[in-house]
Amino acid sequence: MKRGSAKTLEKEKGSEKIIALTVNGEDHLVPVEDRDTLLDVLRNRLSLTGAKEGCGTGECGSCTVLVDGKPVLACLTLAVGAVGKEITTIEGIAASGKLSPLQKAFIDHGAVQCGFCSSGMILSATALLSDNAKPSRQDIQKALEGNLCRCTGYNKIIEAIESVKDKK
Amino acid sequence: MMETIIGKRVPRIDGPAKVTGEAKYTVDIQMPGMLCAKILRSPFPHARILNIDTTKASRIPGVKAVITGRDAWGVCHGFVETPRYPADQYVLANDRVRYIGEEVAAVAAVDEDTAMEALNAIDVSYEELPAVFDLFEAMKPGAPEIHPVEIPDLIGDFRNIGGQCANSYGDIEAAFSRAYLVRKDRFEPELRTHCYLEPQATVAHYDAAGILHVWTSGMGTFRKRMHLSRTLNIPASRVHVHKSWVGGAFGGKIDLFSHEFCTSLLSMKTGKPVRYSAEREEIFSYFRHSQNMIVDLETAVDREGILLGQRVRCYNDCGAYRGSGVVLIFTTWGYLVLPYRMPALDYIGYSVYTNNPVRAPQRGHAAPKIRFAGETQMDMIASDLGIDPLTIRLRNARRPGETLPNGDNIRKAGLIECILQAAEKTDFARKYEENRALQKAATHIKRGIGMGASGYFTGTLIYPNNSAAMVKFNDDGTVHLLTGALDIGQGAETILAQIVAQELGLGMEDIQVVSGDTDATPVDIGSWISGLTLVTGNAVKKAAEDARRVLLASASEALQAAPEDLEVRSRRVFVKGTDRSISFAQAVSRHIRDNDGDPIVGRGYSRALKEAEFGPSLKNAKGTWSESYAFDAQIAEVEVDTRTGQIRITKAFTAHDCGFPINPLLVEGQIDGQASMAAGQAAAEEITVKEGVTLNPSFLDYKLPTAHEMVEAQYIDVITEAYEKDREFVTKEVGEGYVSGILGAISNAVANATGKWSTKLPIKIMPGKEEEE
Repeated sequence: MKRGSAKTLEKEKGSEKIIALTVNGEDHLVPVEDRDTLLDVLRNRLSLTGAKEGCGTGECGSCTVLVDGKPVLACLTLAVGAVGKEITTIEGIAASGKLSPLQKAFIDHGAVQCGFCSSGMILSATALLSDNAKPSRQDIQKALEGNLCRCTGYNKIIEAIESVKDKK
Repeated sequence: MMETIIGKRVPRIDGPAKVTGEAKYTVDIQMPGMLCAKILRSPFPHARILNIDTTKASRIPGVKAVITGRDAWGVCHGFVETPRYPADQYVLANDRVRYIGEEVAAVAAVDEDTAMEALNAIDVSYEELPAVFDLFEAMKPGAPEIHPVEIPDLIGDFRNIGGQCANSYGDIEAAFSRAYLVRKDRFEPELRTHCYLEPQATVAHYDAAGILHVWTSGMGTFRKRMHLSRTLNIPASRVHVHKSWVGGAFGGKIDLFSHEFCTSLLSMKTGKPVRYSAEREEIFSYFRHSQNMIVDLETAVDREGILLGQRVRCYNDCGAYRGSGVVLIFTTWGYLVLPYRMPALDYIGYSVYTNNPVRAPQRGHAAPKIRFAGETQMDMIASDLGIDPLTIRLRNARRPGETLPNGDNIRKAGLIECILQAAEKTDFARKYEENRALQKAATHIKRGIGMGASGYFTGTLIYPNNSAAMVKFNDDGTVHLLTGALDIGQGAETILAQIVAQELGLGMEDIQVVSGDTDATPVDIGSWISGLTLVTGNAVKKAAEDARRVLLASASEALQAAPEDLEVRSRRVFVKGTDRSISFAQAVSRHIRDNDGDPIVGRGYSRALKEAEFGPSLKNAKGTWSESYAFDAQIAEVEVDTRTGQIRITKAFTAHDCGFPINPLLVEGQIDGQASMAAGQAAAEEITVKEGVTLNPSFLDYKLPTAHEMVEAQYIDVITEAYEKDREFVTKEVGEGYVSGILGAISNAVANATGKWSTKLPIKIMPGKEEEE
């Protein structure tokens, strides 16, 4: 994430406090500073590195996680603002060790290449499908518009989502 | 019958790790006590460094090490390091900086805030020097000198020439004097960039035994090891580059980068693990973009549109250091003469130093630029002569068995077949004429269809020139494949496992791949010169065959049958045409017992360009380049909104000769990605640099394609080679060549829609102009 100059840092940091975060159904007590993003806390405090930082400025969607079922950009969300909410990361999607139909479809349809966008893509699509079981192609494109992928051209990602939609 | 797994749409084996977040990229590595590295960069495009004072920075609590050029005086590296083009870039600036963002110092501290504070406390005194940013200005004799270089065979009175590649053959004067038509056009594809989603990052840990462990987001661990060993002046055997998952590269991660050197040196100085991770804005502003190039293309044709000769001048602004510029001006020549017969040529490519940031290869390297120029001009010529785009290509396209000007034979080239199939499957001729008739129609949405063709090389000689592999049997009859290949998203591990599965009659689940680790796996050519499937693939095939041969010898005794009467399937060895069999596990166990403990380890190896001692000459393009060339014809359909200037690429059709596809699912993925990259470059992508400063250093401002810009893709495989038992296979590259044809196709489709050709990329349509006219 972006950092200011040394002088402004003290103000940014605020005092460290301990907050309770509910991540993938488990409660965690974590020490945070006011300025810490949800992404920093997930990755650095809870070792949930499935959410990625591709830009740190909310443009690429690699850091997408679900907060109360809605996709949010964890790099732009303050950790202190996520207290009391249900946070779901990619690690919580196949929590029982069994891939979700969407995760499986991503593999089977070639929707994964380098994989760096995959966590965010899958979470955005998971949220879409839970709101709308039969999204149109345009609905899917709209839901993924904040998730950049440079490898696939999006073709097989959209194909994977459509294959799951058809089964519902 | 042995079941075949080559040619099947096998899902990638690293899929589960990637869809669950388990895959650990370099940025995900955490180690106890790990320090954070940050880099101080030059704010000036050209300046002398008078003094660097790190005293204050070093005294800040939590700062563990500060390094500057004094710690690496005279240490240089280059994409190319040859007597003609010696390494020219300092790992940390010594007494001079040559671009904004050049690395001047690096710090390691306990956390990011402390590291940033330390950077702010480093005091650097500079004396500014005159800078030059325009390549033609830089070439003028009076321009500021960026490097004191001398090209002994330099053609012209130019300054700042980092490299020159000149190649002429045939009677060029005669070609132009008997031409029916001569066209001279200048093409200017703007600067594009990779946009790999995983930021550049490196973790280094110098351990107590004096081994440097490195994890870095790159494109080949053995090449990184070579560079790190040379610049750090420690033996390669003491640099252990580990595998880490790579979040995209597209050419932009192959060079040695200063942060990889700095992170390593900082760890060596502190004895602690150190991590550097680049911010996205740093990548956009200071890391390497694609090479850019201006192309002057003068082409002579006869009345039938047959190419007679070309005079070509290419000008590459390589930035402040050579980077891959001197290779680009060679490969430009290559992609110029590859797809079409060219009886006479006068080619000079210049790579010019400026005070812009340094450049790297990007998917296709020179091919997208020169084929955009060549394919666009081919349609211009066709139009001038009243010939259609299909016919002019068929008249000039190289046929199987033709020899290139450097002596390489293109063997079973499927270009003609690609052009014919692409045209037929897309109903090209009808749509082309229909759209042309509607150019002047009153509607503001114009439709266009266009064709482009291209070719691409498949592996050449550049370090490491070879790949080796081992296949070792486990007690349970499954195998481990040990390969130095690095999967950067293209699916290398999957196709290599498929080859092993094919050779041993195993299922994909029976093969574990250990990859990309310079200590644990044999050397590998790397994921960067489009040779992995051919070179590593054959090494793996041989290793699997070797393991099978030993396994069958052991089984042969147990089954009382000759090895040639045996076959492998379902983890068992069968006597052909019978039910008599033993399991792999039994055969392995028997072999261990009877052969003094030998557990069966197959070995294989392969080298690019078996007959050649060296790769092609970067000076004059002479000498062999590659053993295998891929070809393609691509067709784009576009919609152009003449009111807004918006160009929408609706369809991309690719007919390609990739030899044969080992995994069509992965091949399609490569094509989709390339079509998307080309669509982005044709319609929107452009890095804007002014006086060495990148003005649009973010994804939003760079405008790479989003899900809304998905291009509908279709494919036809033109199969020209085969995978056969006990023979080396010839396959052709699929990862880079398909940016080019489609880029030309899009350019021509826009012309088909609007009646106007663009000689620049991205293509800019002047909104509203049509209506006014």
